[in-house]
Amino acid sequence: MIITSKKDRDKLLETLNDYDSFFLVGCSECATLCGTGGEPELAELKELLEQSGKKVTGTFRAKTGCQVLGTKTELKPMNVETGGAQAIIVMSCGAGTQAMVEAFPDKPVYPSNDSMFLGNMTRYQMFDERCSLCGECIIDQTGGICPVTACPKGLLNGPCGGTSNGNCEISPDIKCAWVRIYDRLEKIDRLEDMSKIIKPKNWSKSQKPRVLSARPQKEVKEKK
Amino acid sequence: MTFREKIESGKFVVTAEIGPPKGTDIKEMLHHIEALKGKIDAANVTDNQSAVMRISSLAVCQVAREHGLEPILQMTCRDRNRIGLQADLLGASVLGIDTVLCMTGDHVSAGDHKDAKPVYDIESVQLLQVVDGLNNGKDMAGNALQGCTNFFMGAVVTPEANPLKPQMMKFGKKVAAGAKFFQTQAIYDIDKFRDVFMPEARKYPVKIMAGIVVLKSVGMAKFLNNFVPGITVPEDLIEELKAAGKEKALDTGLSIAARHIKRLHDEKICDGVHIMAIGMEDKVPLIMERAGLL
Repeated sequence: MIITSKKDRDKLLETLNDYDSFFLVGCSECATLCGTGGEPELAELKELLEQSGKKVTGTFRAKTGCQVLGTKTELKPMNVETGGAQAIIVMSCGAGTQAMVEAFPDKPVYPSNDSMFLGNMTRYQMFDERCSLCGECIIDQTGGICPVTACPKGLLNGPCGGTSNGNCEISPDIKCAWVRIYDRLEKIDRLEDMSKIIKPKNWSKSQKPRVLSARPQKEVKEKK
Repeated sequence: MTFREKIESGKFVVTAEIGPPKGTDIKEMLHHIEALKGKIDAANVTDNQSAVMRISSLAVCQVAREHGLEPILQMTCRDRNRIGLQADLLGASVLGIDTVLCMTGDHVSAGDHKDAKPVYDIESVQLLQVVDGLNNGKDMAGNALQGCTNFFMGAVVTPEANPLKPQMMKFGKKVAAGAKFFQTQAIYDIDKFRDVFMPEARKYPVKIMAGIVVLKSVGMAKFLNNFVPGITVPEDLIEELKAAGKEKALDTGLSIAARHIKRLHDEKICDGVHIMAIGMEDKVPLIMERAGLL
């Protein structure tokens, strides 16, 4: 899921200073799990804005906020609430915020969160990063652990000289990615995988902005 | 004879380091170059060492050459992508710099520009492959070069890495990628180096130069133990520095370095030493004298 964290509330209020009325959009997916855009957070921001003398015309939690068409459809019955607001505040990720930029072409749209990374949830509201979305997965060669993400230097061919008691020199709280990979390859009896040199990555696979149509070409043409 | 000819001929080689300064005043650096000239076999020129921004390694390599000291170009992958690295390698080649030490490079978080974007487009093993490609007339994309390089390639290894096995697997990859000589991270336990690391390293047809970092004080020894991964200063050396007292600690540190070098040389434990004097490069000839190498 996309991990988000709340922007500093004082700074957020400062950013919103030019406007008096807002419509708040949360998201039922990642932002709800992150505690940044679910019902409690919608209520919390509504209260904060009202305490600051602002008006909240309505709040709404999208089913999947990054789903552009679906969210637009969901918003249709809320014409009065959205219409009465001078600005929209989106409490999800950068993708959800920009879905709303598309849904409200004539209104200013502000994010209440910072988008952090693609994360795994380890425990309730605890997340870590295991995949960098590099566009060319190599974990078939590294025991299923991604060194592009887990190693601060993204080393592809083994540990640097900074491994200290199996930990990373950059952040001693985390284990060295390559020690983890070595241990796992040993456990699954595939240590020989580590002696093969992994070629430089093809970074063009992650050249922004990326687009993808997963639909069969024929179907797309017909719909047009 | 060049550094390459010396090490390949089986001579016990000695290298030291030139650390480019931050700024354009190179008086002290030139003093170090003069002190080392004719004494050591080559000098590494560090590449924004510890991720601290300084004069580029390439420029200082050329300065060293002009002053009669053979340079080893250190190249890290932290600050340049594959285009920049290859361009600088071609540049080094036309300047007559023919030995390159390929490393990944300390992370920017260790340095003085912590907000910088680290590059790491490629890393040490892949950089060795790139240099090998340039030596064979091809760039990384497979394009033919108009004139190829002829670099002698080195790499680094940490004999005290914990755990050692993954480190040695990477060592094997560096050899496969074309490294012909290795300079090690600082070692202080010569017996352990001889008995644990060297038997592993000797499985490969490469030259090993032991890393010697001169201990200046008890405080420095403790700092290395506590804050520098991959370096362990044994207790008895710390006691020796303590016993010498504050005033004589540095001189004792120089003698410890000389004693270690003498053992490595006399007992033929490895093929040379790389002396890191960290700001006291002018003391390197004194260490070599005490080790019986001058």
